Amino acid sequence: MSATTTRRRKPIQRSTVVNYVLLAIVVLAYLFPLAFLLNTALKSNAAFSADPIGLVTSPQFGNFAEAWEKGNFGAYILNSVLYTGAASLIGLVVSLLIGFPVSRGYLKHTRLWNLLFVVMLFLPNALITQFQLMLRLGLYDTQIGYILIMSAGVGVGPLLISGFVKSIPIELDEAAALDGVGYWRYLVSFVIPLAKPALATVFILQAIGVWNDIILATIMLTDPAKSPVTLGLFAFQGTYTSQWGLLGAATMIVAAPLIVAYVFLQRYLINGVIGGAVKG
Amino acid sequence: MSSYYPFGRRAAMRGSFAAGMAVLVVFGIVPAVGVLAISFTNVRALPFLPVDWVGLDNYLAFFSPARLDYNLNAVRNTLIYSVTSTTITIALSLAIAVLLNQKLRGRTFARALVFLPTVLGVTVIGLIWTLIFNPSAGPAATVWAWFGADSAFFGDQRIALALVIFVQVWAGLGVSVVIFLAGLQAIPEELYEVASIDGASSWQKLRLVTIPMLAPSITANVLLGIVGSLQNYQLAYVLTGPNNAATQLLSLAIFSQGFGGSSAAGAGQSQGYAASISMIQFVIVGVISLAVLAYLRKREARL
Repeated sequence: MSATTTRRRKPIQRSTVVNYVLLAIVVLAYLFPLAFLLNTALKSNAAFSADPIGLVTSPQFGNFAEAWEKGNFGAYILNSVLYTGAASLIGLVVSLLIGFPVSRGYLKHTRLWNLLFVVMLFLPNALITQFQLMLRLGLYDTQIGYILIMSAGVGVGPLLISGFVKSIPIELDEAAALDGVGYWRYLVSFVIPLAKPALATVFILQAIGVWNDIILATIMLTDPAKSPVTLGLFAFQGTYTSQWGLLGAATMIVAAPLIVAYVFLQRYLINGVIGGAVKG
Repeated sequence: MSSYYPFGRRAAMRGSFAAGMAVLVVFGIVPAVGVLAISFTNVRALPFLPVDWVGLDNYLAFFSPARLDYNLNAVRNTLIYSVTSTTITIALSLAIAVLLNQKLRGRTFARALVFLPTVLGVTVIGLIWTLIFNPSAGPAATVWAWFGADSAFFGDQRIALALVIFVQVWAGLGVSVVIFLAGLQAIPEELYEVASIDGASSWQKLRLVTIPMLAPSITANVLLGIVGSLQNYQLAYVLTGPNNAATQLLSLAIFSQGFGGSSAAGAGQSQGYAASISMIQFVIVGVISLAVLAYLRKREARL
């Protein structure tokens, strides 16, 4: 720890001041772009061209309604919710179904499976083959095809779950089995409630990846009606290039739910990143 | 039965394990391994065209005079992008993590803020920075104007890559900071007290206590940074489009060669060629990360 804690009696120290100045710089570097986005989102076109960086004087909340309508964001957000929910849920179930028995050593070749979980993180870029697979399975440009491809991107999921399961005593498995609880019921009524924090982390990590994907969606979903919100926003940017107020409002519409969700889910997310880095 | 299993018959467990693996194998592992096979064919984006085995043609094409400039440019950009963004990210995130590890008011808020871009995703980040680097009227243009300069920013071939790297660092710092903070919190307080008794300055404490104790976090961050940035291209795609020579990355080349983005391409183009770029990228990523990993592990052992 720095001098601030060891010598608390002196009122203000130079190092403390320096620290707060540095902290302010860091905060500004991240707050300013967001504040500027909000500021722009509230400007009319005329106000923006008159003074692009000045503070907004007469906020145009109508920008949001207009962007929402013109950009068809309601439909895109619904698509994204469907893709993100379905793919992350499948990914979570898969991670649990393979992570649990491997962690417990209930299968042969535990080491081999663990190695596979790690190797899966470093596979080559498979854009081409995933596209070809969808094409030849007749799943190209279908929502189910896109969901299945995205659900396979489990990342560190199986590793995180198998790591967490080790903290559940194996005696619990034995006790439950003696009481006649079957394997699947054990997973549902014991492992899932006990592993909730890890499961939440795995779900959220994958959900972020799916929600923010743009390349696979570009490749797999040509029908604009099936676009997720990232593609919708990207297309919107192409259409309303110089209408910065509208563009800012559209970006806010997409960013706001993420920021709100982030405020509540931050803890799980940060745990996941740390856990993933240690395992990976 | 070699291993212990309390739930009676193993069919339920094996069945659900197999079902889970099947999803990963079919939609993840087979495509990833299939890249190698496909890179020896002339498979196209249209399913009814015949697929021929072409041997090493795609790889030879990669190094052919007609494409060599384009590809070498992509390799060079990828290496610059990867090395610079990783180095800057590590240095900055270490500094920020040390700062946020002090008892300061508002540090939780600052940590949350730095991590926020991870959630926002490339499209939103791309738009925010397009707004800021708007050449005709944006904050960056205003700052440039103070010095009597102007710039096309992402449209300027000379600085486009640097700007993409800047945005990548801004967006990627959070993960790195969080990993460093976790590492910092694991360093026992006593080490600093002992160092203080020995009369160590703050700088000496950082160099002789913090950094050696952080070695595993540094390894994790460097590796994540290199592997991530060698494969990352979504940001370059969103900020400058798929066919900008200044920001052409190897992984972006896979996209534009495989899916039309490039001018020479059409629906009938060979995706086998794009697959061969995937494999070349994979080898580059593998060689570099293994070398870096070996080096860092050796350093860790010495410390």
